[in-house]
Amino acid sequence: MNAGSRAVLRSLVPVICPPDAVPYGEAIVEHVGLSLAATPVLVQRGFVAGLAAYDLGALPRYLRRARALTGERAERYYASWEHGVTPLHVQFARGVKQLMNLACYEQPEMMAAVGYRVGPWIEEVRAKRLRVFADDIAKQERQIIAPDPLRPRAKQEVA
Amino acid sequence: MVAVALHEGAHPRNVFTRRDLRGDTVLDCDVVVVGSGAGGAPVAAELAEAGFDVVVLEEGPYYTTRDFTANTSAMIRQMYRGGGATMALGSPPLLFQEGRAVGGSTVINGGMSWRTPDEILARWRREAGLDTSPESLDPYFTRVEKRIHVAPMDESAIGNDNWLLKKGADAKGWKIVGNLRNQVHCVGSNRCAFGCPTGAKQSALVSYLPRALHFGARVYADVKVERVAFHGKRATGVIGRSAGGHHVVVRAKLVVAACGAIHTPALLARSGVRSRSGQLGKNLSLHPNVKVVAIFDEAVTSWKGAHQAFQVREFAEQGLGCFAAVNMPPSILAMSFPQRGAQLGELMAQYDKMVLAGLLCEDSTSGSVRTIHGVPQAFYQLAPKDLAQMQRGLVLLSELLFAAGAKRVLLPFHRARELHDADDARRVLAEPIPAKEWEVVTVHMMGTARMGRDRSRSVVDEHGFVHDADRLMVADASLFPTPIRVNPMETIMALATRAAGHVIDNARRFLS
Repeated sequence: MNAGSRAVLRSLVPVICPPDAVPYGEAIVEHVGLSLAATPVLVQRGFVAGLAAYDLGALPRYLRRARALTGERAERYYASWEHGVTPLHVQFARGVKQLMNLACYEQPEMMAAVGYRVGPWIEEVRAKRLRVFADDIAKQERQIIAPDPLRPRAKQEVA
Repeated sequence: MVAVALHEGAHPRNVFTRRDLRGDTVLDCDVVVVGSGAGGAPVAAELAEAGFDVVVLEEGPYYTTRDFTANTSAMIRQMYRGGGATMALGSPPLLFQEGRAVGGSTVINGGMSWRTPDEILARWRREAGLDTSPESLDPYFTRVEKRIHVAPMDESAIGNDNWLLKKGADAKGWKIVGNLRNQVHCVGSNRCAFGCPTGAKQSALVSYLPRALHFGARVYADVKVERVAFHGKRATGVIGRSAGGHHVVVRAKLVVAACGAIHTPALLARSGVRSRSGQLGKNLSLHPNVKVVAIFDEAVTSWKGAHQAFQVREFAEQGLGCFAAVNMPPSILAMSFPQRGAQLGELMAQYDKMVLAGLLCEDSTSGSVRTIHGVPQAFYQLAPKDLAQMQRGLVLLSELLFAAGAKRVLLPFHRARELHDADDARRVLAEPIPAKEWEVVTVHMMGTARMGRDRSRSVVDEHGFVHDADRLMVADASLFPTPIRVNPMETIMALATRAAGHVIDNARRFLS
């Protein structure tokens, strides 16, 4: 993502993410960039083009780019896309929101705020499994590599 | 022991990654298998054990259990094709997910392991002329179930969300069954969709592939196969490219395409295969899924406990395959909500009280996969009949959740209002919801190289051999003549195992 795209996304953090996520704005934008980089090239290009259109689209109405809008004006402008005049506006607004919400609740502080502490949980149950079920685990691992031919009498007979 | 090595993260000596492919590579083998998931891995293991020299090529990277962390979005970026942003075009666009890693989609699926329903097998016999009696397939299902350890859940691993689902089903008097999953003492980390971090889920990565490796197969990760090579009609190998940009050529006596129902037809089309039936890439079934979020008064903590411990099967024969509780991390859930800003924050503050429940629809229509400049694109338009069916399913699922004690239910529509009781559900969902308003997803893609006896109506025979080519076989969900109403992994594995047996039985014909 280029600097312009990042600036637009940064301006959207207070609009799309909950208020307590605003301090993590830079990390959220960074995360959106990582997610976007994993998508098909066409999606990436479309998204970046969409951000540019969103940025410039504010000029006629607000005489400034979207990235410079704050507060109520930023809110109103995003809402105009969210309920937009064309399906493209609507799809783009949804796509941005989805990526930013994903990024928002991937922040450790936001996960902790909703009570999702999965790291320690994984460690706890992983250790429990290895401790309590060691015999069955070993049995399955032996089964995985034990000879058990699909055709017992078949031997490779081709030259 | 190879299995232990994979489980613990050591690098087995016959797994090769981009780091090992430092230049153009030419390999010779008996069988080259393209794809390492539910279809490719069993074929590789069975043929390797039978003494054949097998090479498995996988487009995605190689990870071990140790690599599966709590970082949800990193897991999606690393193991989901297109970072999870793959969709079938239609109204609404339908998001689908596929694994792109060694082990394929078995690494990121929920592990549900069900045999093909008898009625579906009967339909395949009737409509496609296949020998798919339950008796003839039983040995293959049994073998697969042993290999991947299909078993009911340990009760101690079942989370509150699933108990609530059962409570609701019991209150309604509906049929609910304990899920069968490929797991050895799943302990309910609820991370199936992001790579099982405990090693409990017996994905191909920790079951069939270690077996294949043990019997001498070689696995090459990070290699995308561009096309199948032919001499006349006979497949003679494949040509691909490593993630580092080097050419990889594999010369083989038999080629097995096991890239899934989106990429197998594309590989065949790129390779110049033309099915006289005109069915290559057609007949795409998707088992459309929709979900609702129920909010309870008390903490549910759905993220602790096994993924899908139960399935409600009351309406399976009416086209609603199952209802299930399917917890997702907060980031994934937040993505699906229409709310934003402070409203989103207020809603997500209830995360610990939420139950995410979904339903699977046995689709009555089909889409297609077209290969455009070598790249597959899926097209799928939900049928009005299926939309109506899903809408009915949402009423029933909401009724179940309210019967379990839910206080609110959020629907999978843009601009939908929330429901407060079962009457509300019936009232709100009485009117048709426009197709474009739905949020529909799937992880079951099937049918794009369907099997059948009649060459004029199918792409491959009942063992997966392409009608219009020689020594080219398909072994994945592309084969299915129809949707199967249940999770497809075990069916794919059983059919792949049967196909491997056919190859062994006819080795002189296919591998000389």
